Amino acid sequence: MKVTASQSGDAVIAAVSGRVDSVNATSFEQELSKAMEGGSSRLVVDCGELSYISSAGLRILLLAVKKTRAQGGGVALCQVQDHVREVLEVSGFTRIMTVRDTVEQAIDSF
Amino acid sequence: MDVTLGIDVGVDQHEPRRVVEVFERFATANGVSDLVVQRFCLALDEILTNVISYGFEKVPEEPRIRVDFGLGDDGLKVRIEDNGRSFNPLADAPLPDFTLPVDERPIGGLGIHLAKNLVHDISYRRDKKRNCLTLTQPL
Repeated sequence: MKVTASQSGDAVIAAVSGRVDSVNATSFEQELSKAMEGGSSRLVVDCGELSYISSAGLRILLLAVKKTRAQGGGVALCQVQDHVREVLEVSGFTRIMTVRDTVEQAIDSF
Repeated sequence: MDVTLGIDVGVDQHEPRRVVEVFERFATANGVSDLVVQRFCLALDEILTNVISYGFEKVPEEPRIRVDFGLGDDGLKVRIEDNGRSFNPLADAPLPDFTLPVDERPIGGLGIHLAKNLVHDISYRRDKKRNCLTLTQPL
């Protein structure tokens, strides 16, 4: 798992690659926190290279949603691969998280 | 003809990932579709993570976990057996409430729900002080 962060306007884009499971969920949480250190409350998670996420990773996304919403922002996901999207749907996350096709659409969703 | 593979699993937190990788190689080599492989990997990961994290709390016995994969005319079958405390994930795991707003959603409780909903059929039995969970998928 690797997180590469960049900034676009007042949104932070965190591109996640690889697998997020119970072994590295804590590192995933730390990486996302580090990406948000600049004080932004708008987080785009680019899932284009995310091949796998288990409930341990979903927990971290839920935490990020709670944290950013408390600060008036939110989380938007984009470029989600089909089987990751299925996991998001089955776990009810598509109801509480914005999911868009492209990074630009995700940024525009805020 | 049936193809089978069995592995003993330890209680280290890295074990689910190892088992998932073994399963992935086994299923892919035997022509199981990517979609079914992905769903089973997640179910296996969630179930094993649960057993390793909670199954042996206050259990005096030496932990024993065994996973068997099988592929035959009746489809794909994965059996997970452990000698931990009696736990039927199909009946004992609380159902997540998806109507709750974000602020009230509990962090967690999703793993078993995912496993139950991504696999065609899951059955549980308690036999000789062992939990035995069988995941099946017609192919």
